[in-house]
Amino acid sequence: MATAVQRLRGTFLPLSFNSGLNVIGILVVLVALFASTQRVIEGGGTYFFQTLGFGLAQGAIFALVALGYTMVYGIIELINFAHGDVFTLGAFFSLAIITSPLGALIGLTPSSSGAGVILPLLGLFVVTMLFCALVNIAIERVAYRPLRHAPRLAPLITAIGMSALLEGIMNVWKGPYNLAYPDFLPENQIPLGGGATIAAKSVFVIVIAVVLMVVLTLFINRSKLGKAMRATAQDRDAAQLMGIDINRTISATFFIGAALAGAGGIIYGLYYNSVQAFDGFQYGLYAFTAAVFGGIGNIPGAAIGGFVIGIVFAMSDGYFTTKWTIPLIFAILIFVLVFRPTGLLGMRVPEK
Amino acid sequence: MVRARGLVVLTVATLVAFACGGSTNGGSSNKGEIDIASDLPTSGADASSGLPTQYGAAFAVEQAGSVKGFTLKFIPFDDAVNGKHDPTKGTQNVQQMISNPKILGMVGPFNSGVAGAEIPVANQAPLAMISPSNTNECLTINFDYCQKYAGYTVSSLRPTGKNNYFRVAANDTFQGPAMADFAFDTLGLKTVAVWDDQEPFGLGVANNFAKEFQKKGGTVVARQGFDTSSKPDFHSWLNRAKAAGAQGIYAGATSASYGCIPRAQSQGIFDPNSYYLGPDGIGDGQCLKDSGSMANDHMYASQGVADAGSNSSAASTIAKYKAEHPNAADTAAYTFAAYDCAAILIDSIGRAIDANNGNMPSRQQVIDQIAKTSNFQGLTGTYTLNAAGDPTTPALQIQQNKSSGWTTIKNIAVNPGS
Repeated sequence: MATAVQRLRGTFLPLSFNSGLNVIGILVVLVALFASTQRVIEGGGTYFFQTLGFGLAQGAIFALVALGYTMVYGIIELINFAHGDVFTLGAFFSLAIITSPLGALIGLTPSSSGAGVILPLLGLFVVTMLFCALVNIAIERVAYRPLRHAPRLAPLITAIGMSALLEGIMNVWKGPYNLAYPDFLPENQIPLGGGATIAAKSVFVIVIAVVLMVVLTLFINRSKLGKAMRATAQDRDAAQLMGIDINRTISATFFIGAALAGAGGIIYGLYYNSVQAFDGFQYGLYAFTAAVFGGIGNIPGAAIGGFVIGIVFAMSDGYFTTKWTIPLIFAILIFVLVFRPTGLLGMRVPEK
Repeated sequence: MVRARGLVVLTVATLVAFACGGSTNGGSSNKGEIDIASDLPTSGADASSGLPTQYGAAFAVEQAGSVKGFTLKFIPFDDAVNGKHDPTKGTQNVQQMISNPKILGMVGPFNSGVAGAEIPVANQAPLAMISPSNTNECLTINFDYCQKYAGYTVSSLRPTGKNNYFRVAANDTFQGPAMADFAFDTLGLKTVAVWDDQEPFGLGVANNFAKEFQKKGGTVVARQGFDTSSKPDFHSWLNRAKAAGAQGIYAGATSASYGCIPRAQSQGIFDPNSYYLGPDGIGDGQCLKDSGSMANDHMYASQGVADAGSNSSAASTIAKYKAEHPNAADTAAYTFAAYDCAAILIDSIGRAIDANNGNMPSRQQVIDQIAKTSNFQGLTGTYTLNAAGDPTTPALQIQQNKSSGWTTIKNIAVNPGS
């Protein structure tokens, strides 16, 4: 399996890592050119930055979910379709805490607001991330581990099955309605100078996502477990021969990926103030697209992919025809993959 | 060959089953049973408008009890899949109704998109359909844009060339413009942003709103459509609408297509005192939940039927209904319109029985009698149905979200001739 990845890297890669940066460069230039067109001037720089802010916020959530897809794919080459639903589960679980007596106990009720919510909210993040992580470990143990040496399609189908199962459980639990998620975040706009502003809500989402991503990158690069994960991703058999506990390492990957998805779920709830049992599937699809776009198995790639898709969403909705937004995203995906089959940062594989 | 033989066996078995059913019924002193079906989305997110509508139709059947010696029975169907109305499910329901010879007509469907799929199937049976709430104009009237936007025309929906479809609601050529007039004249809005959910209903009502609002002298900005197969992110579009100077938003959508999600997301972009307008599809409880902290009295929805509460002769029936359904959520905008649909159907079945010398009428005979409905005194109005299946004098109402929920603030009678 590791050899399969290497073959992909070795033979199908016509461009160097530098050209990965080139593609990003081209995208940046395109955005810059776009920013200078007459339609932008029409709305003004303020408008451009506001739109960018919304794109970054949406992209940050995509990125958090994309990390889970890319880490799991990197280590066992499985597209964990249940991941998007673990993300929704994060939103559902945190909502259940807030609306239960437990929420009042830690100082969070649907009507809480102000600076007083910061600490309880932090606690909510920790508990929810832990819950999602444990659920994901259980999913791995039940549905993926027994099939680790089975044909590729078998775990793919159990993943789709797990996704349907989680959606079904949430559907039965809360019904198929849109659920109102409490609004704890401030509503004001933060000035950026020159009349440009960004919503405080967007800043919150972006900051939390970036902090989590930096912590993750440090963890993967510096810690012993992170090293074990990288080794397992590169060559599972060799890693095992070196004394690495493969099962524990894979469980850790599922744990971390789901913790990020759980955090993403809370952020999603706080940002959109509504959540529905089926939201995660579609969101997961975009996040998965982001992971492939950035180079599946590559952590910075997933983050960049998430942000790029979020920005394209916002720019298309803000300047063009909304009906074209989703086709546009996939047109860009096709364009990038044709020239870079491994995604934007597909070369930097050791970091999976 | 094997399949053909199987089909023959099945057909024979079905005929035998029907024949037996007929003979057992004929044995009783009663003339037999006539069933009235309904097809509405009664589970999940759509249930907040579908269930109260079903209760209205059921109540009418229960009140009548029997017609000309035939016992009446109400058989409800649910066309929601995963909480959302589904045309394919609706079609399957209609096929089930057709296979039950006691069903002489159906009340429904609730959604125009479902009607577009069901009418051709029911048309070939033929089975009478009478909807309390379908408002898409292309279901009954030919416009040059129908094939392009709705995906059907009056004739493509009726393969037999005869009409089997009726409704009591005012179509979208009225509902959109009624809100446009209200927004411009009463609310004094000059610039409104319009979006639609890319469904026949949402798109139609949004286009008709925009056309009338511009005709009045208002400006429509940020006119966009959203793919609502999953929940969209409206932030960038809302910001665009705000930048273009919109004082309010018109949503050509329903609660099931995230009609009021933009209201919640507009927080921090739009002032809470900005207006949020929409068709009957957002005039329900789900919309108010979805609006979050932005749910307030600056939200207005039109309804394609008049308010039964303003009709004094309806008061006793409404009181009886409310005694049976004390929960406020069991009465919605189309509850009494559905009651009227079922009542028109029962009345027509009665006349069809007379026309058939007191015997069980054929489905075509029922359809013929519905088409002759004239000056029928219903709870929501007096109905005369024209050849296309539309009421000749449709009525509408505008509702405002007040502390007690959606409240009628204006009844509007429209004259299609004008």
